[in-house]
Amino acid sequence: MEPLLRLQGISVNFAGLRALADVTFDAHAGEVRAVIGPNGAGKTTLFNAISGYVPASDGAIHFKGEPIHGLAPHDISVKGVRRTFQNGGLFPEMTTLENILAGLHVHIKSSFLGIVFGSKEAREAEREGIARARRLLDLMDLGATADQPAKDLSGGQQRMVEIVRTLATDPPLLLLDEPVVGLSPPMRDRMMEIIRRLAGEEGIGIMLIEHVIDLVMSGSDIIVVLNSGELIAEGPPEEVRQNREVLEAYLGHV
Amino acid sequence: MSETPTLARAPVSMTRWRRMYYLVPIVALIIPFLTNEYLLWMVNAILVYVLVTMGFNLIIGNLGQLAFANTAFFGIGAYTTAILMVYLGVPYVVAIAGSALAGGLAGFLASVTALRGIRLYYLAIITLAFGELMRWVYLHGDKVTMGSDGLLLPPAFFFGLPLDSEVPKFYVFLALTVVVVKATSNLMRSRVGRAIVAVRDNEAATASLGIHTARYIVLAFVWSGSVVGIAGAMFAVLTERVLPEAFGLTEVIIHFGMVLVGGTGSIVGSVLGAIALTVLPEYFRQFPGMDELFFGIIIVLILLFLPKGLVSLLCRISPVFNERYYRD
Repeated sequence: MEPLLRLQGISVNFAGLRALADVTFDAHAGEVRAVIGPNGAGKTTLFNAISGYVPASDGAIHFKGEPIHGLAPHDISVKGVRRTFQNGGLFPEMTTLENILAGLHVHIKSSFLGIVFGSKEAREAEREGIARARRLLDLMDLGATADQPAKDLSGGQQRMVEIVRTLATDPPLLLLDEPVVGLSPPMRDRMMEIIRRLAGEEGIGIMLIEHVIDLVMSGSDIIVVLNSGELIAEGPPEEVRQNREVLEAYLGHV
Repeated sequence: MSETPTLARAPVSMTRWRRMYYLVPIVALIIPFLTNEYLLWMVNAILVYVLVTMGFNLIIGNLGQLAFANTAFFGIGAYTTAILMVYLGVPYVVAIAGSALAGGLAGFLASVTALRGIRLYYLAIITLAFGELMRWVYLHGDKVTMGSDGLLLPPAFFFGLPLDSEVPKFYVFLALTVVVVKATSNLMRSRVGRAIVAVRDNEAATASLGIHTARYIVLAFVWSGSVVGIAGAMFAVLTERVLPEAFGLTEVIIHFGMVLVGGTGSIVGSVLGAIALTVLPEYFRQFPGMDELFFGIIIVLILLFLPKGLVSLLCRISPVFNERYYRD
């Protein structure tokens, strides 16, 4: 089976500092792949390299067999790699509904002139987008927040809205940067359940960065461990748990 | 979809209320019957400044960039109309289109600075310099602009209607303002408007949604330049003489004041800001020597007690006045 995402020898340098060194792995559809490692291990840099926010100094990234390294973030997103951000990527002044609609941007097909003159087609496309956004929010029990500014939502709701926004265009691959950080334990479990469902039922490939080891161990199919920019282990949770190098570099210190 | 009514359904009635905006220009049609020539001149000036403020607000409030090239756009719009009418004898309506194009081109030039990653105070000072540079051009391009004497406009006609008094000017300006405000409102309540606001709120996250951020930064500047360019074309006919001093640093401060007093990122706010800061200085003229002091105090008081501008007063009355970035 062709992997959804293929990383071959990815390296990233920041002014002489090697943030990622020769990272190679494949990620597949329907799989939850957790990326773990101590602070400064290069986890977010890995996400930034895949999604085009930092250029890889070496190596190749293929998505569905197509090279995506060197593309701009918006082009990579259009191809179907969507991500969330560690510090939250919502638009605070926009309402929940408007945030989801922004996520549907490439999906709402209306011409510039159609928009300016308020053409029937443009209005229809907008209405369809709104209906889809409301459906998505209702599915996640967020319908009641539709008209609230995103900044007024609770931390958990914000994380959820951000995930709904990335899902709006049915992307094949999601990169979730610490999706449960700041959430209460019940909210965490609920979030992991949703993530499992997205992978299992929708067949979405999911990569997530997470520090809560219990969640990672119970919720992921494959774990990738980074340390000082290097991939030191990759495999199913039970295998990674036994790995001596991982115990020394990371798990032993938790 | 859930069958239970939620807050999400509430805006349906809001949409109906929003239609009352259409009443504003209809009611405005009777203004010439209620005012004298002087008051109507002031109303016409308000219409010009509604577009000036709305165009500026798009950059300051919606795109969130501290770009102060507004007087450059305004002056370029006014001089384009004047030059086209004086030297080429083109009809006013063609001159307006020329001003929109020239303003849009100036907007494009201004966007290049923002695209190159120049932001905040640096963008502010560069764009202010652009405005001052244009003023230098108006002053020293004597052969075309007539320098400090300014360009005297020939009689203007709008599709045969002579614009020789404030009444015909009012109807033409009202029509222009309504069309441009409606087009801008359509734009802001669409995927384009959302992309522009998204760039302001979180540029990196915007790109992660497949939105080409640079394209929307350029588009916002070009649209802003065109809108303010059209305002310049109206201003040229309102004053009948285009002078360099009308486009100086003081002017850009007044434009900025209109945006802040009205409310950033709000079209209704732009209208309120334009009305307030056109009417107040005229009113305070009856207190010579004190007028600028009163004017300054009023601005300080408004910003102190209504930091989100006059529009926030309306938003307290009804959420219908909140800016919305979609249209159902």
